[in-house]
Amino acid sequence: MRAYEADVCVIGAGAGGAVVAAELAEGGAKVVVLEQGPWHDPDSFTARPPQMLARLYREAGQTLTIGTPPIVLPLGSGLGGTTLVNSGTCFRTPQHVLQHWREDFGLEFDSETLDRCFARVESALSVSEVTPELAGRNAAVSLRGAQRLGWSHGYLRRNARGCVGSGVCAFGCPTSAKQHTGITYVPRAEKAGAQVITGATVREIDVRGGRVHGVRAGMANDGGVEVRAPRVVVAAGTIHTPLLLAANGLGGASGQLGANLSMHPATAGFALMDELVDMAHGVPQSFYIDEWARDGIMFEGIAGPPSYAAASLPLTGERHARAMRSYRHLAQVGLMVSDSSRGRVRMVGGSVGGGRFGRPLITYDLDQHDLARFRTGIAHMRELLESAGAREVYLPLPDGVQPEHVRAKDLRLMAFHPLGTARADADPTRGVVDSNLQLHGIDGLHLADGSVVPSSLGVNPQITIMALATRLAYHLLKRPCPS
Amino acid sequence: MDSALDEFIAATPQPQRMGLHVVLALARRPRGAALLSRIPPLAQVGRALLGMERYEDPVVARSLGWDAEAVVARGRALRRAEGRP
Repeated sequence: MRAYEADVCVIGAGAGGAVVAAELAEGGAKVVVLEQGPWHDPDSFTARPPQMLARLYREAGQTLTIGTPPIVLPLGSGLGGTTLVNSGTCFRTPQHVLQHWREDFGLEFDSETLDRCFARVESALSVSEVTPELAGRNAAVSLRGAQRLGWSHGYLRRNARGCVGSGVCAFGCPTSAKQHTGITYVPRAEKAGAQVITGATVREIDVRGGRVHGVRAGMANDGGVEVRAPRVVVAAGTIHTPLLLAANGLGGASGQLGANLSMHPATAGFALMDELVDMAHGVPQSFYIDEWARDGIMFEGIAGPPSYAAASLPLTGERHARAMRSYRHLAQVGLMVSDSSRGRVRMVGGSVGGGRFGRPLITYDLDQHDLARFRTGIAHMRELLESAGAREVYLPLPDGVQPEHVRAKDLRLMAFHPLGTARADADPTRGVVDSNLQLHGIDGLHLADGSVVPSSLGVNPQITIMALATRLAYHLLKRPCPS
Repeated sequence: MDSALDEFIAATPQPQRMGLHVVLALARRPRGAALLSRIPPLAQVGRALLGMERYEDPVVARSLGWDAEAVVARGRALRRAEGRP
């Protein structure tokens, strides 16, 4: 077993882990990063969805929740984590969400500090607004509908530099324009002296006497790795962080570990247009329509190559074939719900407190409030696409079912933003970590991923996770985040 | 791997992998497809798999305005020319 000494051991190199590692290393800390997945060479990206699902995602992107309805929950794997395969959308945490966290979770995040963290992340990732030219004709369809209806909308801000609109953000950016953490923060961490080890599956977190002393990880091809460190930051992601903690008998005192899972369930509809759309030419997620954001309903762009569209089209038989023959005239829009439903992550095939790491079992049932949001949202989707001039609209519903009558089991949902399974709460009886993201009752053990986010955000969460990770890094460095 | 779809299915976890093989085999046959149509969620999975298979064919995709090889080649050239990662 190889042994390392470090000031901080970071587990995971996604949105949270890579950021905290780079900031700490640049701040002078000796850092070791243990990442389970590999480095993905952009030369291996093929722009072919099934192949890239197999290579860049955990379980080929087919992680499934159990409940009504079952929901596909794709998770990235490798340096960059899910930032490698997300759409690159960048929203700061909405003010009303921060207020909710203050009032209901006792989380006093100083807004000036948080603003500096957001700005630092946005600068590091070259965040800027998509131009209409890059957004392409798929965006133009929905935005025309929104304009005609007088609905609030705009182009999204994204972490991309030199983007040419390849249309496959979710399947590995072939131009490396998307500034995921694997090509931004990870190289910064390495340049500052951090040791980044891929293929390392952490099994054991060494906690004695109420404080952390290090971790041990298994490696595919050798005897494993031990990192002795007085501080450990777990950033294995919302689904796997609670499993790692549970396997080590940590974080369970409040009863909240693994609970409170929110995920922004989402669906998508299509429109057949007279005009040429070529949906995969341009940035797939380039615009938003936030007219009902305060009601938990958000529209965002979504698009992809023919094989992706064929798998998503809510049609059968000859209607499906006919629509696909007109693929170049198909437009698509996504609907995302800020959920009040809450799920849970449990471990199967492992043992709580026994150090045996199992697989996640994710349970999640859509509640009546979220079902109502989907009913309303899908009705608005039809209105939007008809206003844009659609010749035909294909809603994500079974044949003959109207939006107002849809049942939870009729919905075909995916979700991309799991959050909350080790939520932050100032009260140790109600949360897993405190406002400095340290495990209640364990000195030196911190979390830095979506698991700490205590509520649904209503917007894409990567910048929130990164800003909280930046804040944590400067807390550990005992200095203010630079402006 | 025979195809991108084979690679995809091989990477899915059990028990989904076994289920996808069964659904795909049924979806490819008229009687199997008729059977699947009685279970709409499985019919949807079968449709998605067949759709991925058919429209991954480069000739079919190009006829619909999508050329994955050209997208990849452009990306590679840009990365080389500009020193991107």
